[in-house]
Amino acid sequence: MALSVASAAEQEGATWPAGERLNCWNCGAEPAPGLFCPACNALQPLPERADYFQILELPRRLVIDPELLQKHYYELHRCLHPDLYQTGPQAARQASLRNTAALNRAYRSLRDPVDRGLYWLTLQGESLGTDNKRVPPDLAAVVFEVQEQLEELRAVRDRNGAVQALVDQIAGARGELLERQNDWLRQLEANFERWDAGGDTTALTRELKAILSALAYLGTLLRDVEKELGA
Amino acid sequence: MERIFGIDLGTTNSLIAYADEDEALRVVPDPETGSPLLPSVVSFVSAHEVIVGARAKEMAAHQPLATVASVKRFMGLGMEHVTAADREQHAFAADGGIVRFQIHDRTYTPPEISAFILKELKRRVAVVLGEEVCKVVITVPAYFNDSQRQATRDAGRLAGLEVMRLVNEPTAASLAYGLHKKNQGLIAVYDLGGGTFDISILKLHEGIFEVLATNGDTRLGGDDMDRRIAGLLLERLPAESRRHPDVISQAVAAAETAKIRLTDAESTVMELRAGSAHVQCPLTRTEFETLVADIVERTVGPCRQALKDASLNSGDLEEVVLVGGSTRMPLVRRRVEELFGRKPHTELNPEEVVALGAAVQASVLSGRDKDTLLLDVVPLSLGIETMGGVMERILERNTTIPVTARQVFTTFVDNQTAVDFHVLQGERELAADNRSLARFKLRGIEPLPAGMPRIEVTFMIDANGILNVTARDERTGRERSIDVKPSYGLTDEEVEHMLEESIDHAEEDVSARLLIEARNDGEGLLHATRKTLANVAPDGDERARIEAAMAQLETAMQGTDYNRIRDLTDELNRVTTPLAQRIMDASIKEALERKRVEDVV
Repeated sequence: MALSVASAAEQEGATWPAGERLNCWNCGAEPAPGLFCPACNALQPLPERADYFQILELPRRLVIDPELLQKHYYELHRCLHPDLYQTGPQAARQASLRNTAALNRAYRSLRDPVDRGLYWLTLQGESLGTDNKRVPPDLAAVVFEVQEQLEELRAVRDRNGAVQALVDQIAGARGELLERQNDWLRQLEANFERWDAGGDTTALTRELKAILSALAYLGTLLRDVEKELGA
Repeated sequence: MERIFGIDLGTTNSLIAYADEDEALRVVPDPETGSPLLPSVVSFVSAHEVIVGARAKEMAAHQPLATVASVKRFMGLGMEHVTAADREQHAFAADGGIVRFQIHDRTYTPPEISAFILKELKRRVAVVLGEEVCKVVITVPAYFNDSQRQATRDAGRLAGLEVMRLVNEPTAASLAYGLHKKNQGLIAVYDLGGGTFDISILKLHEGIFEVLATNGDTRLGGDDMDRRIAGLLLERLPAESRRHPDVISQAVAAAETAKIRLTDAESTVMELRAGSAHVQCPLTRTEFETLVADIVERTVGPCRQALKDASLNSGDLEEVVLVGGSTRMPLVRRRVEELFGRKPHTELNPEEVVALGAAVQASVLSGRDKDTLLLDVVPLSLGIETMGGVMERILERNTTIPVTARQVFTTFVDNQTAVDFHVLQGERELAADNRSLARFKLRGIEPLPAGMPRIEVTFMIDANGILNVTARDERTGRERSIDVKPSYGLTDEEVEHMLEESIDHAEEDVSARLLIEARNDGEGLLHATRKTLANVAPDGDERARIEAAMAQLETAMQGTDYNRIRDLTDELNRVTTPLAQRIMDASIKEALERKRVEDVV
C-alpha cells in the first residue's frame, strides 16, 4: 500500500534527505528509502528533516487533491499507527509513535490551504513575521467599519441597551467578510498553481505573503465577529 | 495469545468485557449475582475490610463517610475543585493538593479508591473464566484532561494491571455498535453517564474511525439530577436532619430510583425515613423533566461547539448513537433527536456499550482485529504560561493524536542553569482560567550568557491522550533532564510507593481479616455456650471441662494469634458436643411427644 505510494512519490522527486538515516535498529542493514527496512521489514523512524510532502508520500506540489491526500493519510496510518505495534519491540513502538505524530502534523498542515501556504513559506526560509499585523490596504475600509461596529456593540451591551439592530448590521458585514475571504482563497489557489508551473520564486513568495497576511487578518476579524454574534 | 480485557471504569457502574475466540463481545458478570454491572462504590467497613459493588452501595446509607461512590468525579482533581455539595457527602483530608478522602484512620486518593473497583473486576474474571487479567484497555471520558487520564492510568497500575491503552468512551461505543461495517459516514456519539458528558463527531472510512471533534463536561451527568431531586425530599425534613450525610445519601438513592422509574412510568412516589420523620413525595415525569431540564440543556452547548469544530451542520450527520445510562431518559432522547434532526440509535444497552467497545479496541491491540483503526483527538488545547499570565497555545484542541509540538526555551540571566515552565490545558486566554497540568524544571543548562542556550522541548501527546515531555540541547543534541511536578496527580515515585505499601499491607490486611473472623467465630460459640450452661446443668466434670475451655479461648481472643483462637474454638466445640447432642435429643424427643399429644387431640 504505502510502499507503492512511496515509489510513486520518489519518481516525482520526493526523496528522503540524504545522510539522515541510521542503520536498521533491528538487523543493522544500511539505511534505505521507505518506512520499512528492505532486509527485515522492521519499521524505521522517519528522518527528522523529512518534509510534510515526503511524510505523506506526495510530490512536492502546492495544489493537492484532498481525496488523494486523505487516501495517503489513511493508508499510512494503516502501516504506522501505534495500535499495530503495541505488542512489538520497544524500538518499533518508538518509531511508530514518532512517525504517527509526524504524519498527523503533516496532514493537519497540508489539509488546510492557508496552513499549507504558511508551511510552504517556511520551506522557502520565509515567514509572515510582522506582516500579518498590518492591515492589507484594500481591506482597510471594511475592517475599520466592522471593528467600529464591534466596539459599539460591546459598549451597548455593557449598558444593557438594545443590540438587535447592531447585531443585524454585523451579521451583514460577516457575509461581506466571508465573501472577501473566499476571494483571497481563490487567489491563494491561483498562486499555488503558478508555483507548481515553475514561476518566478521571488515574485511568487512576495505575492504568497500578501495573500496569507490578508487571510490571517480576515481570520482574526471573523473570529471576533463570531464571538460577538455568539455572545 | 494473551487476552487483553476492556474495562469501562464508570462513575456509577463499572464493567469488564472481552472478545472471545469468535470475536463475539462478552461482558463478564458478577459470579454471585450474574449482574454485568459492578456499582462503582467502595465501602471501608473497617480499617481492614473493604467491600466493593452492590453491597458497598447498600452500606452508603449506614456509613456514608466511609463509603465512596462516584469517585470518578474526583479523578485528577485538586482540593480546590471540591464543592460544598461534595463536602456534604464525603470527608476530605485537610491539606491542599490532590483530593484525598479521609476514611477511618487514613487517607485515600481517587486512584487508590478506583483501584479497589478494578481489583474487584479482576476477581470476577478469575472466578468466572479462571483467568488472570494482566493487560487491559480502560475507557475514559473523551473530555478528560491529562491529569484525569494520568489518574486513571495510575489506578490501573495500583490494581496490578498493565494499561495498554486509554480509549475515549464515545469512540469505544462507536466501535461496539459495529458501525465499522458501514463503509463510510459521519456519526455523532452522545454520551451522558452518571457523572460525565461527552459528545464526539466521527468520520468512518473503511474501518478507520477518525474523530473530527470532541467536547463535553467532566462534571455533568445523572448524579446531578439525583442531587436535584433529592433536594425535594430533603426540604420536607426538619432542618436539623437535612444535613446528615446518611440522610442525604438515602435521599439521593431514593431520587435515583425515582428517576429510573420515570423512564417508563408516568409518576412515582419517593419515600424517606430519617429518625422519627417519614416523608413522601409524589413526582410525575413532567415535574421531573421540568426540574432537570437545565441539566440536560447544558449538553447542548458542547454539541454545537463540536459540530462547529468539525465544520459540520447537524444535517450532515448520518447516525447518532446514544451512550450512558442517562440517555435512557425520554427527555434526553427527545432533546437529542431535536438537536440532530434524526432518531438516535438505541439498539445496544447504553450501559454496556462502552465496555464492549473497549473489548474491540483490546482485540485491535492484541493484533487479532486488523481492520479497525481509531484515530482519536486531544480534547483540550495545550499551552504554556507566558510572562504576564497568558496561555500560549502549542497544540490546538481536536488535533489527532499522537502528536508533538516543539518549543525552544532559553535563559533570561547570564549563567542560568535551570529554566522553569508551567504547562496548562484549556481554551481560555488567561493561564489562571485553564487547568494547571504540571510544572517542569529544565536542569543542567550550560552556564552561558543570557539568551544563548537553546533548549528544545518536545511535548508529545501519545495515543492515550497523555502528555510526555522531553528536552534536548539544540547545540549539542544532548538530552536534558526534566523534573515534573504534576499539579493534581501522583508522581511515579508516589505510585511506586503506594504499590509497595499495598503489597506490604496485603499480608497485613489478610492477617487482620483472619483475626477478625476467628474472633467473631470464637465469640459466637462462647455466647451460645454461656446460654446453654444457664439453661441446662451438666455434671461437675463436664462443666469443669467446658469452663476451662471457655477460659482458655477468652484469653486467646485478647491476643492476635488467629490460629490459636481457631484451635481453641475447635476445642470448645469438641467438649461441648456431647452436651449439645443431649440437648438436641431432648428437644427432638420433646417435639415428638408434643406431636403425639397433638395427634391424639
